[in-house]
Amino acid sequence: MKLTHIFTATLLAISSYTFSQSESPVELNGKELFGDMKARQIGPALMSGRVTDLEAHPTDSRVFYVGTAGGGVWKTNDGGATLKSIFDDYPQSIGCVAVDPNTPKTVWVGTGETWTRNSTSYGEGLFKSTDGGNTWTEIEGFENSERISSIEINPSNSDEMYVGVLGALWGDSEDRGVYKSTDGGATWKKIFYIGEGTGISDLVMDPENPNTLYASAWEFRRTAWSFNSGGTKSGLFKSTDGGATWNKIHNGFPSGPLGRIAFALAHSDTKILYATVEAEKDSDKGMYRSDDAGASWKLLSNDFGLVVRPFYFSRIVVDPKNPDIVVKGGLFGSISKDGGKTYRSLGPMHADIHDILFDINNSDRMYAGTDGGVYRSWDGGNTMEMIENLPVSQFYHVDVDDAEPYRIYGGLQDNGSWYGPSKSPGGIEARDWNRVGYGDGFRVLKHPTKEILYSEMQGAENVWRYDMVKNQQKTIQPLRRKEDPKLRFNWNAPITTSAHIPDRLYIGSQFVHVSDDMGDTWKIISPDLTTNDPKKQTQSESGGLSADNSGAENHTTIFTIAESPLDKNILWVGTDDGNVQVTKDGGAKWTNTIKGLEGLPKNTWVYHIEASSFEKGRAYAVFDGHTQNDKKPYLYRTNDFGKTWVSLITPDIEGAARSFQEDFINPDLLFLGTEMGLYISIDGGVSWKKFTQNFPATAVHYLTMQRKTNDLVAGTHGRGIIILDDVSVLRNLNQEVLASDVHFFDIKPNMMLEQSGFGGASTETQFVGPNPTSVVVIPYYLKKRHTFGKMSLEIQDMDGNKVTEIKAGKSKGINISTWNYATITPKVASGKSISYGGFQPLRASAGDYKVVMTKGKETYEAGFMIYNDTTSLVTDEERLEQKRVAQKLFDMTEDLAYLVYTIDANIAYAEKIKKESPKAAKMCDAAINKLTTLKKTLVVTTGDNYVGRAENELRENILDLYSKIAPRFDKPTQAEMENLETLEKELSEAQEALAKIESKELKKVNDYAAKNSLEQEILKTKEAFLSRD
Amino acid sequence: MKKVGLSLLMALFLGSNLNAQSADEVIDGYFEAIGGKKAMRALTGIQMKASVNQGGMEIPINVIQLKDGKQLISINLQGKEIVQSAYDGEVLWNTNFQTMKAEKSDSESLQMMQEETKDFPDALLDYKKKGYRAELIEGETIEGVECFKLKLTKNPLTIEGEEVENVDYYYFDKESYVLIAQEKEVLMGPQKGVVGFNTFSDYQEVDGLYFAFSMNRGIKGGGSQPLVIKEIILNPEVDESLFSFPVELEEVEETTE
Repeated sequence: MKLTHIFTATLLAISSYTFSQSESPVELNGKELFGDMKARQIGPALMSGRVTDLEAHPTDSRVFYVGTAGGGVWKTNDGGATLKSIFDDYPQSIGCVAVDPNTPKTVWVGTGETWTRNSTSYGEGLFKSTDGGNTWTEIEGFENSERISSIEINPSNSDEMYVGVLGALWGDSEDRGVYKSTDGGATWKKIFYIGEGTGISDLVMDPENPNTLYASAWEFRRTAWSFNSGGTKSGLFKSTDGGATWNKIHNGFPSGPLGRIAFALAHSDTKILYATVEAEKDSDKGMYRSDDAGASWKLLSNDFGLVVRPFYFSRIVVDPKNPDIVVKGGLFGSISKDGGKTYRSLGPMHADIHDILFDINNSDRMYAGTDGGVYRSWDGGNTMEMIENLPVSQFYHVDVDDAEPYRIYGGLQDNGSWYGPSKSPGGIEARDWNRVGYGDGFRVLKHPTKEILYSEMQGAENVWRYDMVKNQQKTIQPLRRKEDPKLRFNWNAPITTSAHIPDRLYIGSQFVHVSDDMGDTWKIISPDLTTNDPKKQTQSESGGLSADNSGAENHTTIFTIAESPLDKNILWVGTDDGNVQVTKDGGAKWTNTIKGLEGLPKNTWVYHIEASSFEKGRAYAVFDGHTQNDKKPYLYRTNDFGKTWVSLITPDIEGAARSFQEDFINPDLLFLGTEMGLYISIDGGVSWKKFTQNFPATAVHYLTMQRKTNDLVAGTHGRGIIILDDVSVLRNLNQEVLASDVHFFDIKPNMMLEQSGFGGASTETQFVGPNPTSVVVIPYYLKKRHTFGKMSLEIQDMDGNKVTEIKAGKSKGINISTWNYATITPKVASGKSISYGGFQPLRASAGDYKVVMTKGKETYEAGFMIYNDTTSLVTDEERLEQKRVAQKLFDMTEDLAYLVYTIDANIAYAEKIKKESPKAAKMCDAAINKLTTLKKTLVVTTGDNYVGRAENELRENILDLYSKIAPRFDKPTQAEMENLETLEKELSEAQEALAKIESKELKKVNDYAAKNSLEQEILKTKEAFLSRD
Repeated sequence: MKKVGLSLLMALFLGSNLNAQSADEVIDGYFEAIGGKKAMRALTGIQMKASVNQGGMEIPINVIQLKDGKQLISINLQGKEIVQSAYDGEVLWNTNFQTMKAEKSDSESLQMMQEETKDFPDALLDYKKKGYRAELIEGETIEGVECFKLKLTKNPLTIEGEEVENVDYYYFDKESYVLIAQEKEVLMGPQKGVVGFNTFSDYQEVDGLYFAFSMNRGIKGGGSQPLVIKEIILNPEVDESLFSFPVELEEVEETTE
């Protein structure tokens, strides 16, 4: 099957396709449509995010894996100095990572975090890689496991393995328990199951007796308003027959209901076990130890660090070399060096320690996974240093302003509130971010016109108004007045600014509060808009066996407020208990619109409402049912103020939906964020395509758009801020475009920024977020990927003269090429060393250009314009002078190159004559000597490219000046002009010197050659020498 | 005509039978598409004259690979030939950019090169004889093209004293069977663990064989640099001294005295 034949076949296929094309629309999946569009992940990593599990490589101490709460799995090959994401396409909420002890290239990931806080996401099964994490396959049978806590592999037989499934957090499920495979994970059998409300929180194999297994069972349940840990079904179990039978091992444990039991076994002495037990009585809670493989237990300590929040901290890790060194995750992390009797805290680091990892060879080297990333210790946990390139930050919300470059605002889980730039010299670095709030951060909103922002912490305990210029803050949250009932603010309380009244601010409790003076005074403009169901106001009883009244379970609250961009009196409110309320008169009258929401389960959390920019009656409502154990996405649109709603959900969409953005130019361009990534519709919600290019399957908690740049900005709960730069190309996608072979989208006029700086200051192992491009963006669509025959993209002036060739994307779908105004570099005289100044291209001038695509025999073109920086201090006259001088130096460089070429060619010719005719030796030597002496003054003929380099000669001096002036925009300085004059004089003297040699010494050689019928010298013309073809 | 008709039928047949493929069927389809195993086996060398455009500067690149393992990659800057990598069968070397002098590469790079010499003109050609294993795994869409994904496990390498697996991934167009992309994890150095990703297009015929005249070399999910091939010469006549580690002139003078 040669390619010529394939061409024929393709041709036939195309002609038959064209025949029927008019009837069926072009259907492309996301990967096909979005081609080489790529999202930009800007982190930040300075506060990082929640880490759930750390896993060592069994033999290579430099390698370990990091499982995170919402940022997938990361791998380091260098002890944590650098990390890379290896699990982008799969659920980013990670329960555990396991490496096969026999074949370390085989890595297993159990998805679904097991630290079951209110904001936790969920997983979708078990995954396996056989190449150290580069590629993954999903293992059948665990699709509904939701949270996998443990994976244990027999250290002498990889075919035998066990998986502990904690299972569903928000409802009953039979997908829980211990599962066993005896064929390396191909098939599985559930071998231990307690009940639909009780899962396995820890499963541990005795590595010396792989038939001995320990499993801790945990009865637990979360609702939107409460959490329960504990019950009579919790317990610690042991099997000594490979999981066939299980027995409770509670000898020494308290009686009565138990909660979460953390468990660990000392690998250096597998009879020694540790367990922290959550029990009814405080005096019974704490760290237990068994020295007889679980036959009996003794309570050693009930320090705060051991019993605090078992649902969040239940990891015990024993030093692999010393059974008496034991570490327990916790608020600060506790370490005991006396077999569990006494403890001290680990060294200062971000609070909330979820896992600890000892280096396999050196127990002084430890790692800790926290709510704020991974920390490393070199001294057994006394001092902890943060690993600075793990961008798994968990944003709850994101906002942008209209500064240039625009700034990005948002709050994070346990990591406060921040703002930072969308671009920065050298990239977006840690130091570019500014902290603007404590605690857990949520909304951070820029005042529409002033350098003031609002931020908040959990439950609106504090809402700050912060003056960004004066660095002054004030708390402004509404508080209960004498006539008010207790105010119920959500953990993630909604705040909204107004598009119509700059000083206006809305906050939702169960009421809508509004202030027209930036929060100094408040009034309530609604009744209680929630169901006000007292059964769902029991957060103070939350926790089960360990009280956990953090405010995270405050319920029957307002969760989203949307003011219409078209009318300040239209306000939409969504509540966490399922109400969608609208007012058309600024709050005098409210209507609950939930009746029209067909197919939506009752009381489904209203996660986001978007008031349309196109019609007053239009709004979009996103509902998230996962707290009712319902992970289906829900998105509805109304065009009549909520009288009727239409679902826009299609089977294309996966994961509970949380966020939405309507384009502000094309009403059919919609964006939806779910627990599993970003979806885009170009047809008003009729169909959706997943955007996966550099956009992981992470939970998208909030979406917004920047109106000047048309950037879509996503606040993700695990992968920081992700930006789709300039989505305007998507506005012009339609069936006509999709059916064309090649389509150039509009190329935006591009302003040539005249900024120049010195770049950033980050070190090699710090995360730096990439900048967007500022140069010309050339978007086009290809119906088919270009694979056969030549294809190129050329920039031409309007007369069709080639300016340069640029990189051509060849993907099916959308391609994005760029042009940085570079034209050509000068042809440089050859010398002993390289002259770096010659790498500098001339820059194109402002004006009209076209891009020409040559694809096989066809050409396609599109025009565009580049213009000078309107914010620059440089005048047009100065720019012209810069251009003239740069061109002058470019020409001088090429003149010199031709001069040196002529000298070299003449030397070679004289050498040839000398060789052929020894009689002419003297005459030839005279010419050669003169030419060589001249050449030495023109280019460097000795030394190297570094500190051994020779003194500059004319070539280097011209290029030094050229490379200073060519990249700039401003007029050359007087010193530069005087230097230019000197160089021009030297070049002209050199040309004269050559002419003199040509008329004297060389003439003699040439005359001799002619007289003796020797081969005449043929020099390239200057034009031919400089030709670039 | 008869032959063309048969191939056409085969193309259509293969196109409609995308799901039932084995690794060998895909590899056979690939070689058939690019000109046949026989013609590939007959090659004694390949020279590619290519260029990259570095911000307006066209940098010519010369790549020569010979059947006996010798190879050269050099660039030309301002008239100076700079060897990026050359191997003469024993020594792997390159030009130091600062001193412009030849320097030998480290022993692990040499070992990798020695392994690579088995792969002329294509690692997949007679792969079983080299002790390689090929496996078809779940396909992927690359640049909008539905591809077969082939995993080729080559002979292990020793890196930093540890034996490591040496795996290449290939993506073949399910319709035409040509190579669309290739992927390989970087096994050593500061980029270790990063996945290199190269894409191929602009296939054209050279003396009965098909070659990609455009390659993008980069990192999976990251940026890439295009390499435009201007000319491919099969079985080139080359001066063998190009591959040899150059002996300094001064040293020659010293030894002759």
